[in-house]
Amino acid sequence: MANIQIENLTFTYPGRERPALKGVSLSIRQGEYVALCGRSGSGKTTLLRHLKPVLAPHGKASGTVTLDGTDIGDLPQRDQAARIGYVMQNPDDQIVTDKVWHELAFGLESLGCPQKTMRARVAEMACYFGIQDWFHRDVAELSGGQKQLLNLASVMAMQPEILILDEPTSQLDPIAASDFLNTVRKINLELGTTVLISEHRLEEILPAADRAVVMEQGELVADAAPRDIGRILFEQNHPMFAAMPASVRTFFAVGGVGECPLTVREGRQWLESAIPEPVRVPELPGKVTFTGEEPAALTIREAWFRYEKDTPDILRGVDVSIPEGSFFAIVGGNGAGKSTLLKSVCGICRPYRGKISVFGKNVEKYKNGSLFDHCLAMLPQDPKCLFVGKTLRADLEEMTKDPEKIAQAAELCQVTHLLDSHPYDLSGGEQQRGALAKVLLTEPKLLLLDEPTKGIDSFFKDKLAGVLAQLRFRGVTIVMVSHDVEFCAKYADLVGMFFDGQMLTTDTPRSFFGGNSFYTTTANRMSRHRFRNAVTAEDVAELFQKNQEEKA
Amino acid sequence: MRRDRFSAAHPAVSFLFFVGAILLSGLIQHPAYVLAGMLCSGLYYCLLNGRKSWKRIFWLFLLFLLLSLGNPLLNHQGNTALGHIFGNPYTLESLLYGASLAGVLVSVLLWAGCYNTVMTSDKFTMLFGNLVPALSLLLVMVLRLIPGYFRKMRQITGSRESIGKGSRTDTYAHRLTEGATVLSAMTSWALESGVTTADSMRGRGYGTARRTDFQHRGLRSWDWALLLFELILLLGVATTMARGGTAAVFTPEANYAPMTGWNVPGFAAYVLFLLLPSVLTVQEMIQWQISRSRI
Repeated sequence: MANIQIENLTFTYPGRERPALKGVSLSIRQGEYVALCGRSGSGKTTLLRHLKPVLAPHGKASGTVTLDGTDIGDLPQRDQAARIGYVMQNPDDQIVTDKVWHELAFGLESLGCPQKTMRARVAEMACYFGIQDWFHRDVAELSGGQKQLLNLASVMAMQPEILILDEPTSQLDPIAASDFLNTVRKINLELGTTVLISEHRLEEILPAADRAVVMEQGELVADAAPRDIGRILFEQNHPMFAAMPASVRTFFAVGGVGECPLTVREGRQWLESAIPEPVRVPELPGKVTFTGEEPAALTIREAWFRYEKDTPDILRGVDVSIPEGSFFAIVGGNGAGKSTLLKSVCGICRPYRGKISVFGKNVEKYKNGSLFDHCLAMLPQDPKCLFVGKTLRADLEEMTKDPEKIAQAAELCQVTHLLDSHPYDLSGGEQQRGALAKVLLTEPKLLLLDEPTKGIDSFFKDKLAGVLAQLRFRGVTIVMVSHDVEFCAKYADLVGMFFDGQMLTTDTPRSFFGGNSFYTTTANRMSRHRFRNAVTAEDVAELFQKNQEEKA
Repeated sequence: MRRDRFSAAHPAVSFLFFVGAILLSGLIQHPAYVLAGMLCSGLYYCLLNGRKSWKRIFWLFLLFLLLSLGNPLLNHQGNTALGHIFGNPYTLESLLYGASLAGVLVSVLLWAGCYNTVMTSDKFTMLFGNLVPALSLLLVMVLRLIPGYFRKMRQITGSRESIGKGSRTDTYAHRLTEGATVLSAMTSWALESGVTTADSMRGRGYGTARRTDFQHRGLRSWDWALLLFELILLLGVATTMARGGTAAVFTPEANYAPMTGWNVPGFAAYVLFLLLPSVLTVQEMIQWQISRSRI
């Protein structure tokens, strides 16, 4: 039995006025799958860490957390380690050893498990997770998704009763994330392990969860079945509503009554019954944004690149032209070479064939760093790579001495109140914007973004989109590489599909995603049998309402 | 991972071999021994690395030539002058001395290369894990961290280049400050990720009990036999060394211990010792050929 009982838990970090957790009471039954949602900074991690005393932060705490009636702090260390498994966000940093097998065995070794038992358990875990093929590999050779699966497996090898996951997929691409969450689901269903998970990707976990709990500023504001949580948030006009699955958002946006659809399948069924054939208004007017006549900010002609002499080509004749002033999104699978493409524009990788021109001038002809002077800049995938100072202000001062420019950039990226914090103390979304502020101080006319929405929640995504819109208004051309199809569909002017080292198709988001049936947004998958080019929840809602009006 | 009979034996067998081989190759300058060392290490290196090894062996051979031919240019001792270069005698003894030193260096490098292939980190941990568990875990972690640091450093420098900061800048002073900046960024990052790693270790019960070992296995009779064999051969070489059977003096006149009497079995023991891994590997290759041809 593993009943977790949290009673009136209040916690304050040292030196802070406001408690990080305020009177949280929650009970979780054996075998339940509970999704914990909330904006970053709402106290999710703090709460989760209190369920694993060795990881609990220092500070002033009151209230109790009990596991099967025993106060969790009174559990012997060994029991704590074995019974409560905890998986964190960063796949890399959680790995301790250098070999896959050793990592799987690490927990059991620490607990002093006899060799025979340990071998049997590691073997069964490896089989259950499909790790046996890479059992002897070096950890460094694994992909991010494999690493996170390894972290999960090495926690599960200790056979915990409770599995706590703190945003486990925020650093993974959508396919790896989906794999990971399916495995978590499988563990819950097949082994009966209690799962408590905090996630941004509610689209994937809400249908699997038994219960959803929403936190806001350290308090629990909602605790309900996944089907009801949407209504509660909608009625409260809560910002977390924006993170709900597309089907839920559409349903309430058009004033749906009754059972709310949670999955794409349910969404389709709902639309089928609500909008009878023939559909009166099947599509939204297409926006013609760029005709191809505009001067190009970036042109790539026949670019070929590979990392080593005898490795396969990563770029295989890339041909693309990006119009000035556009917001161009490059989507595509993992390892397709999207990031390499951006790197080759920056000159970090040099194509061995082909030509790259920025504002009509070959990048090779920009001498002495003039390419990065008021011209081109790139925001790397991991914003932490850009931070070198003790405070964010120090970091911005590295770029320019002009306090006015710093103030402007900080204002634009909404980080003014964070200037005196250490960059590493910021949340993922704040780091992203801090790094963006630093990049913007080079005053680029062409801005390259590598996965800017990775690991940030929907609220921060909207903020980022706001910043990007401001930049566009100033005439900055933005090229973004992203896995986040929802974000691309909502904000980009043009979307290009990158596959097998080539840029295949380029189109407006509505025609691009409207034409795809697999590689597209959930809103589109849900509505494609009725509407031709609705790609966001807002599009679906708009068309839905138009059709209702026509009917009336 | 290659799994020949030598690599698959208990790590103690491989470890004793490499310690013996590297120590002896480094200590003995007797030309016969040096030559045997170069040939045996080269052979095993090729067996381990296949076609890839030729490039490395070619460069090491160049190094060997350079050092041997170069030594007489700097060292003019020795009685037999082969000629004069820049007014200095180019002596045979100095040439031989250079060749012997270069041979020592090349064999040690080749053995070290083999060591890297055979003695993987997990074997090392398995060997010393039981003696000093804390230390071996530390070692495993360091082995994991170092490549990680290099990856991160490339990432940081790349990111900085793409905002116009970094190594492309010209002056020496500038590069120095840039290096310091990257280093400080690395430190912040390393501390941060270290905290997570520590959490992950504590979360999985590190330090709650006496650690056990997943991989450790005892010595089997085959391992004992190999160990014993190695020890006997090493003892033979050591006795020969103590008796002066491996002595070599190069200047002013080349003078080596003669290959007569008891020195012969001593040398034979050395060659046999160095050939041990190659013999086991070749034996297994042949066995494979035979068992395959029977199918």
